[in-house]
Amino acid sequence: MTVSAPRSLRAPAHYFLRSALNAFNTNKTSWVGLVIFTLIALAALLAPLLAPHDPIEQNVLAKLRPPTPDHLLGTDSFGRDILSRLLYGARVSLVIGFIATLAAMAVGSAIGLFAGWYGHRFDALVMQAMDVLLAFPSLILGLIIVAMLGPSMTNIIAAIALTSVPAFARIARAPTIAVKQREYVEACRALGYSDARIMVRHILPNIFPEILVMGSLWLANAIRTEASLAFIGLGVKPPTATWGGMIREGFENILDSAWLALAPGFAILVVVFSLNLLGDGLRDAIDPKLRGEV
Amino acid sequence: MIRRVVFPSAIILVGLLCGASHVQAEKRILTVGMGSADAGKLDPHLTATTPDKGLLNWMFNGLVRIKPGQVSPEYIEPDIAESWTSNPAATEWTFNIRPGVQCHHGYGEFTSEDAAYSLRRAATKATSAFSSDFASFDNVEAVDKLTLKITLKNPVPGFLGYLVNYHGGNMVCKKAAEEMRENFSRKPIGTGPFEFAEYQPQQFVKLRANKQYFRGPPQLDEIVYRYIPSDSSRDLAFQSGELDLIYGRQEEIWVDRISKLPGVKVSTMELAEMSALYLNTQSKPLDDIRVRQAIAHAIDRQSIVAFKGQSTSRPAVSVVPSGYLGTDEHAPLYPYDVEKAKRLLSEAGYPNGVTIKTVHTTLTSMQNVIEAVQAQLKKANINLDVELVEHATFHQKIREDLSQVVHYQAARFPVADVYLTQFYHSRSQVKTPTAVTNFTHCNLADGEIDAARIETDAARQKALWKTAQEKLIREVCGVPIYEQLQVWAWKDSLDLGYELKGSLNLSPPITEKTRFTK
Amino acid sequence: MAAFIIRRLGFAVVTLLAVLTLVFVLVRIVPGDPAQVILGDQASRDAILAMRARLGLDRPLWAQYVEFLSGAVQGDWGVSMVTGRPVIAEVVRVLPWTMELTCVSLLLGAVIGVPLGVWAAVRRNRLTDYMARIVSLLGLSFPPFVSAILLLFGFAILVPWFPVISATTGSVSAWWQAIALPAVNLGLITAAYITRVTRSAMLEVLSEDYVRTARAKGVPWHVVVWRHALRNALIPIITVFGLYLSILIGNSVLTEIVFNRPGLGKLIVGALNQRDYTMLQGMMVIYTLIVVLVNLATDLAYAFADPRVKLQ
Repeated sequence: MTVSAPRSLRAPAHYFLRSALNAFNTNKTSWVGLVIFTLIALAALLAPLLAPHDPIEQNVLAKLRPPTPDHLLGTDSFGRDILSRLLYGARVSLVIGFIATLAAMAVGSAIGLFAGWYGHRFDALVMQAMDVLLAFPSLILGLIIVAMLGPSMTNIIAAIALTSVPAFARIARAPTIAVKQREYVEACRALGYSDARIMVRHILPNIFPEILVMGSLWLANAIRTEASLAFIGLGVKPPTATWGGMIREGFENILDSAWLALAPGFAILVVVFSLNLLGDGLRDAIDPKLRGEV
Repeated sequence: MIRRVVFPSAIILVGLLCGASHVQAEKRILTVGMGSADAGKLDPHLTATTPDKGLLNWMFNGLVRIKPGQVSPEYIEPDIAESWTSNPAATEWTFNIRPGVQCHHGYGEFTSEDAAYSLRRAATKATSAFSSDFASFDNVEAVDKLTLKITLKNPVPGFLGYLVNYHGGNMVCKKAAEEMRENFSRKPIGTGPFEFAEYQPQQFVKLRANKQYFRGPPQLDEIVYRYIPSDSSRDLAFQSGELDLIYGRQEEIWVDRISKLPGVKVSTMELAEMSALYLNTQSKPLDDIRVRQAIAHAIDRQSIVAFKGQSTSRPAVSVVPSGYLGTDEHAPLYPYDVEKAKRLLSEAGYPNGVTIKTVHTTLTSMQNVIEAVQAQLKKANINLDVELVEHATFHQKIREDLSQVVHYQAARFPVADVYLTQFYHSRSQVKTPTAVTNFTHCNLADGEIDAARIETDAARQKALWKTAQEKLIREVCGVPIYEQLQVWAWKDSLDLGYELKGSLNLSPPITEKTRFTK
Repeated sequence: MAAFIIRRLGFAVVTLLAVLTLVFVLVRIVPGDPAQVILGDQASRDAILAMRARLGLDRPLWAQYVEFLSGAVQGDWGVSMVTGRPVIAEVVRVLPWTMELTCVSLLLGAVIGVPLGVWAAVRRNRLTDYMARIVSLLGLSFPPFVSAILLLFGFAILVPWFPVISATTGSVSAWWQAIALPAVNLGLITAAYITRVTRSAMLEVLSEDYVRTARAKGVPWHVVVWRHALRNALIPIITVFGLYLSILIGNSVLTEIVFNRPGLGKLIVGALNQRDYTMLQGMMVIYTLIVVLVNLATDLAYAFADPRVKLQ
């Protein structure tokens, strides 16, 4: 944490933006990550405009074709255009990833805030539970939840969110404890501010950067988990295009056409990698020790 | 230096190479690759799935059999029974069982007691999925140790066909079956060239040679039947030599690719399994005939055949597979007409379309069919919601009437009566005491089916069957789609021991004559 | 020290109970009815009632909870709905395969990752460090099944060096051939992770005062790094090993599918496809147990190694 004047004394949004820019400039790779990811997100957003074909339109006579001018990435085992499915699949992955991560952010940070603020037994109990949940392989947990509830978009989002909550709880708790003990918080209490007000106006802004970093890293994780679930067969049901589902199909047909497996595989790699670059770069910028200062 | 580095490296290298190559004299272990994830029920009287049937075929005999490699009843020849006679009315049949047939695992000599027990078991609902095939059996009697007498209620055309080594005709050993009861499906005991050795769930079943087989000891020591649900893994394993015989992907694209490999034989053979959508006519919205008609009009059979490949499939012609005795090869199936389908839906009160559900198997050859069908139905505003479960689970669930639409792919003994009875007779309705595989709750052809079964005049019999098919098609109890030939490939160093034209059990028979030539 | 152990054990037990309760609740909050979910919407009323009775759902909630907990504590973790065998028997049957793969991968990951991480830390902010960080980040970003498919494609298809169905037993060379590709797949990803962890741990240690002192005293740099710094950095690295173990088990599910290898992964996916509800529930309990035990072991190991911890 910075040792300068408490962040809460300035308008949070303003500070947040400035610190984010600082972090970006310190570590150039985070810019690269941001740019790549934004491009992909844009492509997903504009999928209906960019996609040359209907992603679920089958053409049984053109199965597993290599790239042609009409089908830039070839066709899959039902003759559907891989490029179009890739673009629409991006939507599924990003939507699920975003909503799951945001949900986890909200719930997890709240849990961490409360645990840090109220402390004692409550804190110990909650954090132990979080630790165990965190140590649980998130894929297995997600798998079992979706298996029991059924593979629908909502259930997948809920399952992935659940696996991400502990990380946010952890990341919200530590600064809460640190800030809780500062004098100006005592002052606020003395002035009669409610707990809730203190938490929201003073503690929350302090943990924004860390949450942001966690957010981008766990978004990467969420996208990867969603793809893994789809690969196992627990993704959004066909014929909706999902990257994991396409890879599964591609794996089955890999001897006839490698494009079906490699295109979405590469797509996932790029998305996850760019988010990791982004999050990693930000984290390095925020944590002084890792920057090499001594 | 040389001693310390070069020699150990050389040894390791040699060790690796030895592991990599197959250093053997004449090979005697057959490794088979099958496309399901696990065994279902390994009981010949209970299982209807292709993966299980194929395996069990290598372990069991019938009183008679169809010559290995053939599919037509005209090739029926002696198996456990060496000869038989019947009375002029064809209602009493006497079989002479050959002496010295041994049951596996030391369960003793196979006698007419075993044969009688086996037939009774096959005819009883509680122990057999094919009991309806034996409806005409009145009495089965073990006259003496090697003589079996079967009395029928009425003459059954093609009677011998029910006694081949297929479905209920498979002969099980009485002592073993009585001793093990339900556990029989975990360790099946028969009389065939190979006997059960080991089962590893989700991995393989091992069979070993039955040295006392009455036709002579097999030339293979062991068969490893491996479950590899991933098509590409199976293919790769075959290409790399880890598998000798492989259940192929049932598609032309696959046949084309595999045929190009050196040292490989590919077979696209009968019996073709017919794929049809069986509609639960009592479940909304399928209770309205217009909805069912819409579904029938929305399916483009030719397109599915094009999808799978012309060389490995053909369009369905009727509710019974083509080529069977009694099939109406020009039955009045509904033509492909998407506009008509949409109109019918509107008339039925669903102008914006309708949603129907199916519980379906993960077996890839069937799964891609339902996905193609799903896309076709979508064009007519019919949403097909697909829930995927593993193959054996699928078979269990549909028999509990848990699927509104059932996509079933099957071949049966090539006489129309069998298919019609099992899939369309009200007695065969699932969840009834006499259930077989009628998922439709249809019963309008019962009269014709029953009459045809006991009709002795061939022409009248065919006419009755024709009427039955017409009625069922018009009522849209089921929507036939296409027929899938069986695609298998094997190394050409594997000599099956006969010429493979087809197989009733849908997989190449492995007999005592099968061997590796190198 | 004893007090520490007892306290940790106590925590572990509480955690176990908490997570078991979570499992219990999860299974029962399914919207609607678990029996309905298993059987689907075409099931008759009778069938659903029968399934509910079979799953024990017709008993009052507290009775179910007590039964569940007491069963879990006594080691009865349910029976498979498909095979009728106890869940624990099925797990024990495949556990050796998963453990084998996990251990080899972890070893591979450590052998590659630790030296790489140390090197990166030592050459901080120079090209080597930069490259190591990018490459390890790339390795981390690979979904395990994508890398598995690539490996399969490369080394089993394009260049047929390795078998495809990797479960063969028998000679040592057959064993090594079968495990090579899956282990490399998981090992490389593990290595990426371990590289990063090692690097950050080393950076922390290298910034400590005693390192500067040692250098000032004239101790050679490589001795400082490999003998002193690494030893101290190993403690957090090993802690992370323990945490990573569970991620590894998760990744092995995907690898097992691609390489057709038996193991926990295939078991769970099989239970899934067979709608083997009780098996899934039982496996969740067992996974929880494994995770809590590994956590406990790591905590204790950490405490033994680092005396400062016990003072907390």
